[in-house]
Amino acid sequence: MAYPFIIRRWSAWAPGLQTQDDWQQFAAGRKPPDHQPPPPLQYTPKPLQRRLSPLAKAAMFVVEQCLTPGEPMPAVFSSSHGEIGKCLDMLNDLQRGEELSPTAFSLSVHNAIAGLFSIAYANRCEINCVAPGAGGLGPGLIEALGLLHAGHGEVLLVYYDEVLPDFFPATGFAASLPFPCAAALRLALTGPGLALAFSPTSSTRQDGEQPLQLPAFIEFLAADQSELHLGNGGRGWQWQKL
Amino acid sequence: MSNTETELKRLIVDTLALEDIDAADIDSSAPLFNGGLGLDSIDALELGVAIRKQYQVKIDAEQDDVAQIFSSVAALAQFIDSARS
Repeated sequence: MAYPFIIRRWSAWAPGLQTQDDWQQFAAGRKPPDHQPPPPLQYTPKPLQRRLSPLAKAAMFVVEQCLTPGEPMPAVFSSSHGEIGKCLDMLNDLQRGEELSPTAFSLSVHNAIAGLFSIAYANRCEINCVAPGAGGLGPGLIEALGLLHAGHGEVLLVYYDEVLPDFFPATGFAASLPFPCAAALRLALTGPGLALAFSPTSSTRQDGEQPLQLPAFIEFLAADQSELHLGNGGRGWQWQKL
Repeated sequence: MSNTETELKRLIVDTLALEDIDAADIDSSAPLFNGGLGLDSIDALELGVAIRKQYQVKIDAEQDDVAQIFSSVAALAQFIDSARS
């Protein structure tokens, strides 16, 4: 079963990769990510900005390229690990007997970035936060397509992940990239934009979790490539440009 | 201006990551919350923790008039100085 949908707008960010041209060059093997700080934000109020981690800034940056404040839109946020580095820092603080930062604690949940987005954009529509585990990019997209089929005209889908801290075991897992990455997709079922068909498949592919699948998907969007297959843990996803 | 006020302004800027504000530009008598610097309740908690760490002074929400203590840098400095003496 293939599910058609439209990408009205999209934006992706990794260090040094900020525009669709940057990603085209990255796909062509000409531009590796470097060590740039997240770009400055345009719409996010300053008092909120000071509380954003670098990953949250990257997520807000890609959202800002797809949406202007005041546009009501339901959203899906998908992240394998969320801001797990911040949680690890707090656990280390507790172990050292130090008091936790109330600010860090208040933003330590998996839906913290989605909450900041709803405040910055005065967005009162529903927002779902997904931790897709072994499912990679599929669960977030399925959630977003569900919202479209439930009658919403457009849905914002945001993928973001940071580098897993060294503390966590990496051996035997394909769960982390060496650089952070975020992407926002403004989706609809009809109208102008990039038309795609999405099909869940069974798959023996081992493409790793969301952090590893995301750059491959962004390259597919940016490059002249008609199909993309990704799979992990027996579940596969297929995208086709129509 | 007391030394505590000067220290507090630096503490506020550093603790709350007020990147665009110079500590010297904070007015000792200006309101910290509701206007002024535009801080919120999470900032108040964060400052409470920082003040406990730096001055070993605890602000007790049950006992103390928190709104008055946090009304300005001057009021906060006065509370800390009297608690330490």
